[in-house]
Amino acid sequence: MAMLTSWKFWAVMLGIVALTGLFAFGFTKDPKLVPSPLVNRPAPAFSITEMNTGQALSSSDLKGKPYILNFWASWCVPCRQEAAHLEAAYQKYERQQGVLRVIGIAIQDAPEAARDFAKRYGKTYFLAVDNKAGDIALNYGLYGVPETFLVDAEGIIRFKNVGATTTEVIERDMLPLIRKK
Amino acid sequence: MMDTLMNAGVHPRAQCPAPRTHRTRGLLLAALGLTLLLTGLPWVAKAQSSPLSGEALEIRVRQITDQLRCPTCQGISVNDSEASFSVQIKDKVRRMLEEGQNEEQIKSYFVSRYGEWILRAPMKEGLGLVLWVLPFLMIMLVGGWLMLRVYRNQHGSKHAGADAAAAEVAPSAVGLTPEQQERIQRDLKRFEEQD
Repeated sequence: MAMLTSWKFWAVMLGIVALTGLFAFGFTKDPKLVPSPLVNRPAPAFSITEMNTGQALSSSDLKGKPYILNFWASWCVPCRQEAAHLEAAYQKYERQQGVLRVIGIAIQDAPEAARDFAKRYGKTYFLAVDNKAGDIALNYGLYGVPETFLVDAEGIIRFKNVGATTTEVIERDMLPLIRKK
Repeated sequence: MMDTLMNAGVHPRAQCPAPRTHRTRGLLLAALGLTLLLTGLPWVAKAQSSPLSGEALEIRVRQITDQLRCPTCQGISVNDSEASFSVQIKDKVRRMLEEGQNEEQIKSYFVSRYGEWILRAPMKEGLGLVLWVLPFLMIMLVGGWLMLRVYRNQHGSKHAGADAAAAEVAPSAVGLTPEQQERIQRDLKRFEEQD
């Protein structure tokens, strides 16, 4: 009973509770989800060439309209899942409504393999391949594929999605961010 | 007796060892100084601005990429990984060194893209500084606490022994035999010698 009135006992108990609380909080976090320091910062500049038509495009050309920037690869399995969703978003929001653009950049990929993938999975929006050094991928802090960024009309990154970008992610998480502007 | 010692060329203070607290304090300060020196040396060594080439360049690439976490691996450095992203990061670091950028600039580039997560060791600023200092602080606190406990135990036991001896002597001094008195005197003398 004397122990319960001892300040040392309560100090040790408080330390144990604090450590336990810290571990419990940590275990609620997904270690694979690394928050990007690029969100709410200007999108890193890039210059790309469309892999089928050879058309050049740079990030400065995209100012004035928000765009979805999707990083993918032909060897990436979840990229097969999201291809249809991104194509649908391209058809609806870029071709029909003209409210945003959809851009895809293949990383660590051979151009031929990237073209085959695009053809097989029906991707018709602006597609390019990153250079061998992976400059664009490193500039965007990629650590896997697929990863997708939403860039607003001022060129500020507003959202990053890790994993397959589905219609639900686009409509629930991305569109509200550009609609309220 | 002091005059005798002084005349013999023996300084009285030489007969008395340095107090334990002074010795202990000196040891702690030396340990702290050594720790600060060892952790400070890498900071001095990392400053470099002139472009590198050849073997020196590759050594620096390995040193810097060893401090970066492989983005796609589990718990290994970029230097140790052959994953595609790690190979590209190594090339990027090599090019940045060839352009004359220093380690801080290179690490800052990757931190601005990936966050502090990309570093295998926390940065020595802000909350990261707390993580660096905390282990040493804990070691010093625990070490200090242990030394204080030992010191108190030793002095506490001596006083307890002297008190016990005094308690034994005082009440029973009248009824003690000469042998018992002699034994008590011997024990008391031993306590004094230990001091």
